Amino acid sequence: MLGISPAILAGSPTPAEAAGKKTPAAAGPAKIEILNPKGMPPAVQLVPMAPRLDTLEGKTIFLVSDGFAGADRFLAQIAIWFQKNMPSVKTVYRLKAGSYFDDDPKLMAEIKASGNAMIMAYGH
Amino acid sequence: MQVEKMGFPTAPLVTIAFEGLAHSNAASRGMPLERICFLPHPMTNKTDAEMYAVLEGNDPISKKPLMPEIIAALTQPLTAEEKKTGSISPDIGPPTYVGTPDELQRLFCDNNLTDYMPIILPTEEKVEAMLKGTSHKPDEVIGKLSAAQGAQPSWTFTVRHVAINAVMAGASPEHLPVILAISATGQPSLFSSTSSFTRMVMLNGPISDQVKMNYGIGAMGPFAEANSVIGRAWTIFSKNLGGCGVPGLSYLGTLGSNFNYNNLCIAETENRLPDGWKPFHVQKGFKPDESVVSIFSGWSLNNIAWFPNMPYHELIKNWLTHFFSFGTSAATVMLDPTIAREAKEKGFNSKEELSDYWSKNSKTPGWLYWDTHQKELKQAQDGVEPYASYLKMGDGEIPFQRFYRRGRPGAPPAPDANPKSSIELIVLGGETNTYFAGGDFSYVTSMSVDKWR
Repeated sequence: MLGISPAILAGSPTPAEAAGKKTPAAAGPAKIEILNPKGMPPAVQLVPMAPRLDTLEGKTIFLVSDGFAGADRFLAQIAIWFQKNMPSVKTVYRLKAGSYFDDDPKLMAEIKASGNAMIMAYGH
Repeated sequence: MQVEKMGFPTAPLVTIAFEGLAHSNAASRGMPLERICFLPHPMTNKTDAEMYAVLEGNDPISKKPLMPEIIAALTQPLTAEEKKTGSISPDIGPPTYVGTPDELQRLFCDNNLTDYMPIILPTEEKVEAMLKGTSHKPDEVIGKLSAAQGAQPSWTFTVRHVAINAVMAGASPEHLPVILAISATGQPSLFSSTSSFTRMVMLNGPISDQVKMNYGIGAMGPFAEANSVIGRAWTIFSKNLGGCGVPGLSYLGTLGSNFNYNNLCIAETENRLPDGWKPFHVQKGFKPDESVVSIFSGWSLNNIAWFPNMPYHELIKNWLTHFFSFGTSAATVMLDPTIAREAKEKGFNSKEELSDYWSKNSKTPGWLYWDTHQKELKQAQDGVEPYASYLKMGDGEIPFQRFYRRGRPGAPPAPDANPKSSIELIVLGGETNTYFAGGDFSYVTSMSVDKWR
């Protein structure tokens, strides 16, 4: 809901309105022009997603918690699921440093060095 | 997303309460089609067996089996849309809107541009008049504002943008430097957290009388124009200049807070401080004749009317021991000047002395101590002292000073922080009775108002 369409307003704009000028009062209240109060959100640079793996068999998956309570226990259950259902998958649990929205360069470097994919748990 | 950027596939797991937030966050960071898998909410209190059952069940949004969905997120080849690059400029609408006053009020209200109360419509004439309240140029960029720095997009805004929002809040040009100073802190009044943060803003210095802030009878109530419109402006500009306050997207507070309408906009009663007690801004390093806004962050406030059979500083120490909220290690206490003078008569020669006394002598209820000290609980159960002795005290008062500022080992304290106590002290009110208020607010920052005149 970043933008608002002026078409929401009742009636079609007159040429004078389109030029940003007040219209003379006719029947009913006069129309006025007011300023958009919004600031400037940043432009979004689209980031292509990473190529997917052909299979998870034999791969190392990092299970990363953002630190909210229960995420560690839930990820432990995912590790158990892989042990039961896809035993060739190696899982590595890590707690991300910092708050939930902070980067953790050390962990990112570790995943880059020794992982193939990541499953990350957010929430409560 | 950092891991995706490094070239590794990811499958984010998000509970359904954050569906809107997760999608908008992914989009604002450039990956609108990120393969997010959803879980029931909440997960925190589930047993291990219940959590495993979630894995064997379906994603509550897509209705697909969860684990195959997670595996597909990591292995299914990318679509053309998922590989897209380029730049998208968010649509913020046209520069102006035209309509009758009633139509425009409805338009702004229906699109979450207000606090859902009638506004002053920001015509060019009113905004130009507002801009006369500062010497700064209208197009000067003030800074950035975000509903959660690092997690939500940071918007940029100018002096003109703040002036438009100040008009909407009903402010006058004389209020503009204060509102600009608040905006320059980069602190939103509406923080995205699920915990329903409350913010507070306090004025100190000559500006309080210049804009006719009320710091006497009813200092925290709706009894002066300046208190009302300055506090209101903070919430309105947080929505419009930082993208804050969109429920489910940039605001997740489950209960919300009624304080957010005005953000506890107050001024300290500096002319009734006991001798030797410094105004708050002077405590933070400003000169007495400087005009300053100070920002606080917390959740809740107790307004306490009580006639104790003990000195007030002892009553407040006991209140601090038993006060419980989401914030358990910081507090701000607002004293009526009559209580401040009593404390001075009892020997507290500064706010800092009184704050330190409370910090050192208040304790922690047993249940709260153990709930926040699980590692120590294990040690207590293993007979390690002093925790074992604490455990024998049951729900009694544990001698743990939760308002004592310990800091991280080796980390220097913030230059403007009381090195010992996390309890801030404000004096305000009309001296109609010996009452006080207190809450879990912590000090965030201060900003010069004079800089924005």
